[in-house]
Amino acid sequence: MEQQAIWAIGIFLVIYALIISEKVHRTIVAMIGGLLMVGLGIVDQETALHHIDFNTLGLLIGMMIIVSITADTGLFKFIAIWAAKKSKGNPVSILIALALITAVASAFLDNVTTVLLMVPVTFSITRQLRVPPFPFLFTQIIASNVGGTATLIGDPPNIMIGSAVKELTFMSFISNLAPIAIIVIIVYVPIFILLFRKQIKTTPALTKSIMDMDEKELIADHKLLRKCLIVLGLTILGFFLHQSVHLESATVALAGAFLLLLLTGEHMMEQAFTKVEWTTIFFFIGLFVLVSGLVETGVIAKLAAQAIELTHGNLVATSFLILWMSAIASAFLDNIPFVATMIPMIKEMGNMGVNNLEPLWWSLALGACLGGNGSLIGASANLIVAGMSGKEGHPIKFMQYLKYGFPLMILSIVVSSVYIYLRYLI
Amino acid sequence: MRTVKMELTYRYHKDEIEISETPTDTDIEFEIWISAEKHWAGIKAVQKFFEEDKVYTDVLFYAYENHHYRVIVRRDYYVAFILGLLKQHLIEAAEWV
Repeated sequence: MEQQAIWAIGIFLVIYALIISEKVHRTIVAMIGGLLMVGLGIVDQETALHHIDFNTLGLLIGMMIIVSITADTGLFKFIAIWAAKKSKGNPVSILIALALITAVASAFLDNVTTVLLMVPVTFSITRQLRVPPFPFLFTQIIASNVGGTATLIGDPPNIMIGSAVKELTFMSFISNLAPIAIIVIIVYVPIFILLFRKQIKTTPALTKSIMDMDEKELIADHKLLRKCLIVLGLTILGFFLHQSVHLESATVALAGAFLLLLLTGEHMMEQAFTKVEWTTIFFFIGLFVLVSGLVETGVIAKLAAQAIELTHGNLVATSFLILWMSAIASAFLDNIPFVATMIPMIKEMGNMGVNNLEPLWWSLALGACLGGNGSLIGASANLIVAGMSGKEGHPIKFMQYLKYGFPLMILSIVVSSVYIYLRYLI
Repeated sequence: MRTVKMELTYRYHKDEIEISETPTDTDIEFEIWISAEKHWAGIKAVQKFFEEDKVYTDVLFYAYENHHYRVIVRRDYYVAFILGLLKQHLIEAAEWV
């Protein structure tokens, strides 16, 4: 192996270990890793820039701007309280309603943004009902990762896969992944009820206090809400049509964001820009450059060759290897760097003669997105909810989460294995 | 004019606003009825302030019909909440007991 490749592997492993250890913020670590790849001459700056996927970054930034402005209208609080009232104030029904809202919103907004919106309103409802917030937060984490699996924009791994593989459009994500996401949610709902129904009992007086609430009071700005709904609708329509109008999904999201800023005026721009999660954006930039070192030195090609050797190029075995390896790895590692490494590896398998890559891409998406449910550190949404909950005096312990999350994740991967096999491999 | 005593005393016009407090283990629960239209924007401003301050459970607002609000205030945010009401002229005066 060439000296450059050994350096690239060394840097990658050290940076990966530092990301897992969480001793230093993952964004700082990933950026330093990327800069080392360039600084040590493993990739030149031009090649590194070529590897930074603007489509992933543009899509995330565009959606963050649209959602942050929409959140100011009170829409998401309105929907949550409306659902709580429709559930007759019953805590178990509210738990399921909020989980389903989280799943649907995660599919069309992205799951990280969705949990940022859902957690505050969850605290508000659980305090009102005097029930522990953990069952609600846990089910929303799980639902956000399952809902996010359904679309190209729902979960960072899907955004990355959709950006890297041009043939996989918004519609193809929906037609291939939404059915399995719906099946998994249907399987999960009765389990949620069984697991948590005894922990979330309340009194008739507290139930009435929810039923008496006036959710219309929560809409802070009706004019702004109309503008946001129009732009959000146009943006989602744009995602459905992006291939037929020959536009990338990032162009659609950024067009939506700047159309909304044009309609709302300059005063919203500064505020909206401050709400973009720049740490996440720079984390992606660092990772793209870090992985480029492995790609450019031939390490990824070597790994792909070994995977093919292990499965003898058999599509069923390769698909299941990717699905289960992605799920287990994503449960305990951050799924974003894992997917960033797997994408060039699967592309390389295509170059080595694996003709039908489609089952492999869907296996990677399902494994990485659903695998994120396996532990508290498995996905960005989990870490964000845990962080917010801990700050409010309700820490979610690693083992407390694992006890419920890991078996649920394994169940979803078993269901996904059957789905992949029946749909693509026979 | 009505005076309420807790860590702070505060006064408000009873013909414009009615405030009651119920302490629980961790919180103080306020019931606020606002009859004067001039205060409707003020209570919204207090709500907006606490919803944007990055602490999600400090002061929680629940809106009901006829400008009736239930507000659950964490004990460590009691003074901040009273001062928020004062800033928006929902109460007339506040002073330490």
